Amino acid sequence: MDFTQLLQNMTNGVAKGSCYALVAVGYTMVYGVLQLINFAHSDVYMLGAYFAYWPAKWMGYLPDEKGGRAQDVPLALVGLFVVGSMVACAAVGALIERAAYRPLRNSGRLAPLITAIGVSLLLEYGGQMVFGTEPRLFPTFVEAQSYDVGGVKFANTSIIIVVTAAVLMGALTLFVNHTRQGRALRAVSHSFNNARLMGINVNATITMTFMLGSSLAAVGGILVAMDQPTITPLMGLRMGLKAFVAAVLGGIGSIPGAALGGLLLGVSESVVAYWSTTYSEAVAFLILIGVLLVRPAGILGSAAREKV
Amino acid sequence: MNRLWMAVSAMALVLLGVHLTACKQSSDPAASEDIPIGVYLSLSGANADFGVTTKNGIDLAVDEINAAGGIGGKKIRVIAKDTRSKPEEAQTVAKQLATQDKVVAAIGSVESGQSIKAAPVFQEAGIPMVSPSSTNPDVTKQGDRIFRVCYLDDFQGQACADFAFKDMKATKAGLLYAADDDYSKGLAGFFRDHFRKLGGEIVAEATFQGDVSEFKDQVSAVAAKAPAVVFVPVYYSKIGLIAREFRKQGFKGPLLGGDGWESEQLVQLAGETLEGCYFGYHYDPEDSDSKVQGYIKGYREKFKKEPNSLSALGYDAVYAIKQAIELGGGASRDQITEGLRKIKGFKGVTGTFDIDENRNARKPITMLKIGGTDLKKVKVIQPGDIK
Repeated sequence: MDFTQLLQNMTNGVAKGSCYALVAVGYTMVYGVLQLINFAHSDVYMLGAYFAYWPAKWMGYLPDEKGGRAQDVPLALVGLFVVGSMVACAAVGALIERAAYRPLRNSGRLAPLITAIGVSLLLEYGGQMVFGTEPRLFPTFVEAQSYDVGGVKFANTSIIIVVTAAVLMGALTLFVNHTRQGRALRAVSHSFNNARLMGINVNATITMTFMLGSSLAAVGGILVAMDQPTITPLMGLRMGLKAFVAAVLGGIGSIPGAALGGLLLGVSESVVAYWSTTYSEAVAFLILIGVLLVRPAGILGSAAREKV
Repeated sequence: MNRLWMAVSAMALVLLGVHLTACKQSSDPAASEDIPIGVYLSLSGANADFGVTTKNGIDLAVDEINAAGGIGGKKIRVIAKDTRSKPEEAQTVAKQLATQDKVVAAIGSVESGQSIKAAPVFQEAGIPMVSPSSTNPDVTKQGDRIFRVCYLDDFQGQACADFAFKDMKATKAGLLYAADDDYSKGLAGFFRDHFRKLGGEIVAEATFQGDVSEFKDQVSAVAAKAPAVVFVPVYYSKIGLIAREFRKQGFKGPLLGGDGWESEQLVQLAGETLEGCYFGYHYDPEDSDSKVQGYIKGYREKFKKEPNSLSALGYDAVYAIKQAIELGGGASRDQITEGLRKIKGFKGVTGTFDIDENRNARKPITMLKIGGTDLKKVKVIQPGDIK
């Protein structure tokens, strides 16, 4: 067995898993509060990449068709594009919640689920109409550089992905556990009615949840587009599937669970790829089924408490 | 209950409307006075550039023929359908072309997966189909009315292996391809067999499936074995990402690909990462033949762009059908099929070729080298060169 190679695959897996985790958090937060699987979440991830793509394109940071080298985007502008995309995606998230989910708040669990699929399809196919279906080159936010540590190779983009994901997840955990709004979020997740009795604005808290999740998805979209600079309106499909599975694996509703689930999924895919790239996804998913058979609520999930 | 009935009757009305317009179209007297040719291509989606450039070549040929008075006084009418880069969609639009639009011949598609799905529909309807650039051998095996005007993947795979072994002097090669795509998988297989036959060794193989954009593990698996060349028979929308990943993981060796790399977007999507890499091409743009140069001039004037080999094959497909109508003595589905079978010594932009008994064209392949933003011809490999 070639341990360098195995280590290489694990490194790949950590980079992949960090992206899964960032997107998985959005699924898990909304589920924790509404018991709703927000299928549109992965399409907000796609929008995140496009919202950063358009301003960069308008400002001329893309190579022309002849492939002439384009300027790299200055760091200050990168920050601006990222924040802009986060704000825009937060607005989209809030809009989706207000228009598609809030009117169905009291109509059981199936109706909003179907609506979620509808919103997802709307964004995917609407995106194809508005953005065009062709693959587009994402501007160079960070010049790619590769490092070699003892035979294990990785790019600076991978490091940025892992660090950004870790920082954001840490900040989110602090926010949820140590701020008034975070406490409100936990209270609403526990019980709508009790939270309302305590004077918490339930609707505003839910909107905030959607905005938080969506802005994290935007960062995820940009990070992935930075690492793999070709974006399409359907790029959320596969990521959505992976992130959703990661959230379930880690225990849906649990934020540390989403981080753990994402990393575990990414690493197990890559480790299986050490033996076979063809079956890596199939085997990784088999492992997941195995885990869920033993722990149906996910690794960090608590057994479901029925609300009375 | 009332609402349900309203909905049902509304749907019935819509269906009736569709049916009526469909009938109206087919009984249109103008239809018999022109030659309706169906075209199905990826005009949108992941491979949109394939469809759009091929369609340009088709339009150029049709405009030339119609401007010169058509074929026997009849003008060609093109009915173009978009497959959105999906094989299943190719089958759906093929059915529309066959039953609603009543075409007498069909041209499509670029991607072999689409052509293989659509071919049985045309075969069953008795419509001759000419694929401009589907190279997988199975395409023309779908029926005796299915033709093509390009070379085949067994030849393309062998030619690439030959080029890698003899010209690039590589004895160790890696493979990276899409396991669920007819074109990619087929081409990889032909390369593997011939490269081994020549005495080379395939040191690493990695595959991916579905519409992925992340290739870290696949690239790691191949790069770890340090092959002298990596054969990556994928389409242009993927090769940029794969090449970037290879360079990120520090692999500096050349990549080699088939005709699927060809696109105006290739250099843009890949940046500098494909510098010094090679791929197979369908024609030789430096050919001084007046037909080739006339085509290049006409294309530049009409589209204000440089033509490529996909547009050249679309162009040739139209002229092959024109010749078939002349050889077959008319523009019915059967006459065109007969005419296509008789084509010998067809002089096209992509070379002079016969349609053989398996309805395939025997043609040379041109290997191009990517340097900066330019593509440079390095070698032309004839079918007879492969032993």
